[in-house]
Amino acid sequence: MAGLELKQLRKNYGKVEVIKGIDLTIEHGEFVVFVGPSGCGKSTLLRMIAGLEDISGGELRIGDKVVNAVEPRDRGIAMVFQSYALYPHMTVYDNVGFGLKLARTPKEVRDQKIREAARILQMEHLLDRKPSQLSGGQRQRVAIGRAIVRQPEVFLFDEPLSNLDAALRVDMRMEISKLHNDLGATMIYVTHDQVEAMTLADKIVVLDGGVVQQVGAPIELYQRPANLFVAGFIGSPKMNFVSVSADSVSGDIATVSGPDVVGVPVTLPSRKVAPGDKLTLGVRPHDLVVAASGSIVGRVGLVERLGNETIVNLELPSGASWLAVLEGDQALKRGESLALDVDPAKALLFDDAGQAIPR
Amino acid sequence: MKKRASIIGGAAAIAATFVVFVIPFIFIVLMAFKDRQQSALRDFSWPTGFHLWENVFEVVKTRNWMMITAFINSSIITVVSVTLLVIFAAMVGYVLARRRTRWNGLIEFLILAGLMVPPAVVPTIWLLQGLKLFGTLHGMILVEVAYNLPFSIILYRAFVSTIPRDLDEAAIIDGARPLDVFFRVVLPLLWPVTVTNIVVQSVGIFNDFTNPLYYLPGNANATVQLTLYNFQSQFSTAYNLLFTNILLITIPPLLVFLFFNRQIVAGMTAGAVKG
Ligand SMILES: Nc1ncnc2c1ncn2[C@@H]1O[C@H](COP(=O)(O)OP(=O)(O)OP(=O)(O)O)[C@@H](O)[C@H]1O
Ligand SMILES: [Mg+2]
Repeated sequence: MAGLELKQLRKNYGKVEVIKGIDLTIEHGEFVVFVGPSGCGKSTLLRMIAGLEDISGGELRIGDKVVNAVEPRDRGIAMVFQSYALYPHMTVYDNVGFGLKLARTPKEVRDQKIREAARILQMEHLLDRKPSQLSGGQRQRVAIGRAIVRQPEVFLFDEPLSNLDAALRVDMRMEISKLHNDLGATMIYVTHDQVEAMTLADKIVVLDGGVVQQVGAPIELYQRPANLFVAGFIGSPKMNFVSVSADSVSGDIATVSGPDVVGVPVTLPSRKVAPGDKLTLGVRPHDLVVAASGSIVGRVGLVERLGNETIVNLELPSGASWLAVLEGDQALKRGESLALDVDPAKALLFDDAGQAIPR
Repeated sequence: MKKRASIIGGAAAIAATFVVFVIPFIFIVLMAFKDRQQSALRDFSWPTGFHLWENVFEVVKTRNWMMITAFINSSIITVVSVTLLVIFAAMVGYVLARRRTRWNGLIEFLILAGLMVPPAVVPTIWLLQGLKLFGTLHGMILVEVAYNLPFSIILYRAFVSTIPRDLDEAAIIDGARPLDVFFRVVLPLLWPVTVTNIVVQSVGIFNDFTNPLYYLPGNANATVQLTLYNFQSQFSTAYNLLFTNILLITIPPLLVFLFFNRQIVAGMTAGAVKG
């Protein structure tokens, strides 16, 4: 049983602080995904958990042991690298068994574990090959096999699929997901890829600038982003934003207007908004619908007709550019004017500090 | 046209190689077959009789079988020095390439200095005497290691940086201690440079003439190159024996080359295509 607990975890390189105090609890058996823009410190945080980077401050617990000063081999972790990092001079069999050999596992036990891992990953026929004789997907399997035989409490993955082509990525994604179900171990997974994050995670941790922006289930992050950063980062295409101010608040509905939009109603049961407040309105491209008397009017730019949906670039009066994904096929012409509406329950409001106004 | 030019170029290269490397060797072999009178002429003539075995026997038995002692001494010095050089140079190169510290600049400067500053013989002898190592094989081995270390380190250092750091880290995660990482992961991957090192250093040390001359006096300590003196004197030189001697002591380096030849080529092309 090994959950993890990060308390005010910090990392600096000289004077530069890269990880700025991260608090996070990970339950045993959870699949946690770290996402964030490039350079936000995902890899650094993962490597701190692995023990490959020193921890500059704070406390890291794996299971119920503080492991700040524990060697990687004693942390009960295994890691899969983006580059696979297979030992080129060893066969697949020896690659997978290297850790067991170092741990002086008896030969028969070792053999049995290696073959078991090979069976799980369906790579028994590859055991005698050298890594240079494998395809990218096969190498990735070997790298995962190397992690499995260690029977770790916690698996760490640093963008394991980013070197694979799209189709293979989907396959491997499903396999990793299956592996998680079968092994029941805790997994921490770093990725750039939204789809990977949304499909694999029990819990997504969004990082930016070395700070946790939000932690939550994928759907929660999608529907109730905590701030502008998360709203913009999760979901594809990206959420549209426009600055507005509140006109009136009546009942559950706040009405907002701005230079680009007029009288958009937003459901806000919590009534944290007073008329006149400066706000940012966020609308997902998929939540926009065509309506003759729509409150959002813009000029049509590029139109991509995909048959099942139509992606429209819209130029708002102030010059801001929005994206709308409309149901079905819409024959729209460049330059024509288009009016759109949004379901009040789906539009989001953010205060001037960028924090979401809770519903 | 292009093809013809490249054929001519190739032929010229082969001819040049032949003149520079093969002709002297043929000369040595021919001389080793001659008797004393004919060899004294020192010309490029066909041997009049077959005297190789006599010459070899004569050379080996001269000065109380000095050749045998010399071969044993040289082999010990070469094998031990090269082993130490490979291990130490690879270790230093590895640490130097992997761990960035403030001292790296200074250390690299010292290594370069070791390459450029000529060895000071008298102080070295003085030091060896103080350590009671002067005139001993292990003293000689230490001297060879010290003199050749900088070059080997430089060879290794450049190559270590081509081994991805991920491999070290994967090994650490797999439970490798620092020496495991070095001996089981890094050193095997350095094999191409190790071959280069073994060839270059073993030939250099085996053929070393001056250092044994300074630091290893005495008949019991003779090394192969010093046996050449047996047949050379101010007044008379037995050229047939001298060249037989040369032929005999050329054989081991030649064997090293033949043995590692394929691996040198394989090593040079190994990392070429990233697979
Ligand atoms: N050795 C180092 N010295 C100084 N700064 C470093 C060092 N390693 C990483 N950094 C900095 O730490 C920050 C976080 O790096 P990290 O590799 O964790 O990013 P990341 O989120 O994994 O990015 P990516 O998605 O591109 O992999 C970066 O801004 C990087 O420049
Ligand atoms: Mg990274």
